[in-house]
Amino acid sequence: MRFIKILNQQEKKEIERGLQQQFGVDFVPGLIVKRGEERLFLFSGSFSEKDIEHLERCTFIERIGIYFAKIIGNDIRLSIEGSQILKDQIKKNIFFLDSKQAEEWMMGRELLIKTGKHGFLIMKYGEDFLGTGKASEEKIGNFIPKNRRLKERGQ
Amino acid sequence: MKTYEIQNHAPIRLPNASRSFSPKPLFLERMKKLLGKDFYEYMEILKKPVANSIRCNTLKISPEELLKRLKSKHWSINQPFKDYKEIMIVKGKIANIEKLNDFAIKNSFRELVDEDEIIDLEPGELGRSIEHLLGYYYVQEIASMLPILALKPGPGEIVLDIAAAPGSKTTQIAAAMKNTGTIIANDVSLKRLKILASNMERCGATNTIITKKDGIALCKRLKENGFLFDKILLDAPCSGEGTLRSSPITYQMWNPNTIRYLSKLQKGLLASALEILKPKGEIVYSTCTHAPEENEEVVDFVLKEFPDVKIEAIKLPIKCRPGITEWQNKNYDKKVEKSCRIYPQDNDTEGFFIAKLRRIK
Repeated sequence: MRFIKILNQQEKKEIERGLQQQFGVDFVPGLIVKRGEERLFLFSGSFSEKDIEHLERCTFIERIGIYFAKIIGNDIRLSIEGSQILKDQIKKNIFFLDSKQAEEWMMGRELLIKTGKHGFLIMKYGEDFLGTGKASEEKIGNFIPKNRRLKERGQ
Repeated sequence: MKTYEIQNHAPIRLPNASRSFSPKPLFLERMKKLLGKDFYEYMEILKKPVANSIRCNTLKISPEELLKRLKSKHWSINQPFKDYKEIMIVKGKIANIEKLNDFAIKNSFRELVDEDEIIDLEPGELGRSIEHLLGYYYVQEIASMLPILALKPGPGEIVLDIAAAPGSKTTQIAAAMKNTGTIIANDVSLKRLKILASNMERCGATNTIITKKDGIALCKRLKENGFLFDKILLDAPCSGEGTLRSSPITYQMWNPNTIRYLSKLQKGLLASALEILKPKGEIVYSTCTHAPEENEEVVDFVLKEFPDVKIEAIKLPIKCRPGITEWQNKNYDKKVEKSCRIYPQDNDTEGFFIAKLRRIK
């Protein structure tokens, strides 16, 4: 059984609808590939679904495209790359960090900030898109993966 | 002229290295034979660590913008090639920035900063910066960037990278293709594939499919299923003689049996790869070693086996020496001279070998 699933037009539209509601994004530029129940990958290459199926007959496919988003319940959380790829379309639910907050954020720490919002926010510092945080009453939860975190001196 | 005693060469220890390694006498003998009068210069440069070089990831940021950002961190950057602005050397960072001439700082005239004001980056600093974590650059030795400059992948092409991990060259290909076309990035090792996937993600290379298979078996299956490629990169597994400056442990691992084994493997890989090249398609064969058995001998082998394959001249922005045509009583096709030997002492880089082949029908 294939453990990867290329979303059809209707399924892709559904993801785009979610992204539109959350961040104002209209369009995902490429095929969306689902791995497991939650993880979404974006493939911008020229191979069609048929080409990929054909390739699967030759070899084990480890990845198609790159991880760009995760489905969490009814919401979508964009990865660092997801936020960067869609940056020109992201119009709402952006949280602007100052330099101190950006450093804390990239160290993987939650930010103790009351945003007045609940749910996922795109984190932005200057021109940099730094992925998605989850705002709750008192803080913004951090999802920066360990291998992408800034290390403190001496670490 | 200074001469080297091949039998009793002093151990080589790079600054900051915890251990020193002694080159094996046979290795020295072979290099002396390859280099002749340049052998001394070669041995001298092996004692120097290689420069810190990075490649701007143009999928995410322009070289101009990256340069601006890195300079604002007081890093001293040099762009050695005018036609490849994405290639940068990080010379270090400017010490005592507050004491420097205000005019130079405010106007970003870093070239006015004296060399002795530049100090080395801390170990690992290149990989820890926010720009690296966000995928704005890839830490890559200059010689390792050259195979892709020779391959010249373009937008819309179908490209196969047979031994892709850890992904420095694959991400370079994706950038050259502007994330269009398709790259199939293959490697045989699952552990290495994870590093490859992580680098592809960090660099935002969305046009890539990662596969896991032995290279020869993959080419065979692709051929059976009718896949053909515009461009192929075979950056072959090799004995790594060119990486001694950054990886002195190679001195210890070096042995002639490995070279013989690898030569056979490389011939199999290159011959298999040529089978799935489109007519007029191009393949770059590269290694990070100087051993002729792994370089010219492999190219010579396929030139004899594949009459419809021609070797192409390569134009690179550094000094290249022609491929050799004679080694250990073997004569190679004269045309292998079109391949490119890159020696550390010629360009202050690591060592590499690059050959470009084209299928004519």
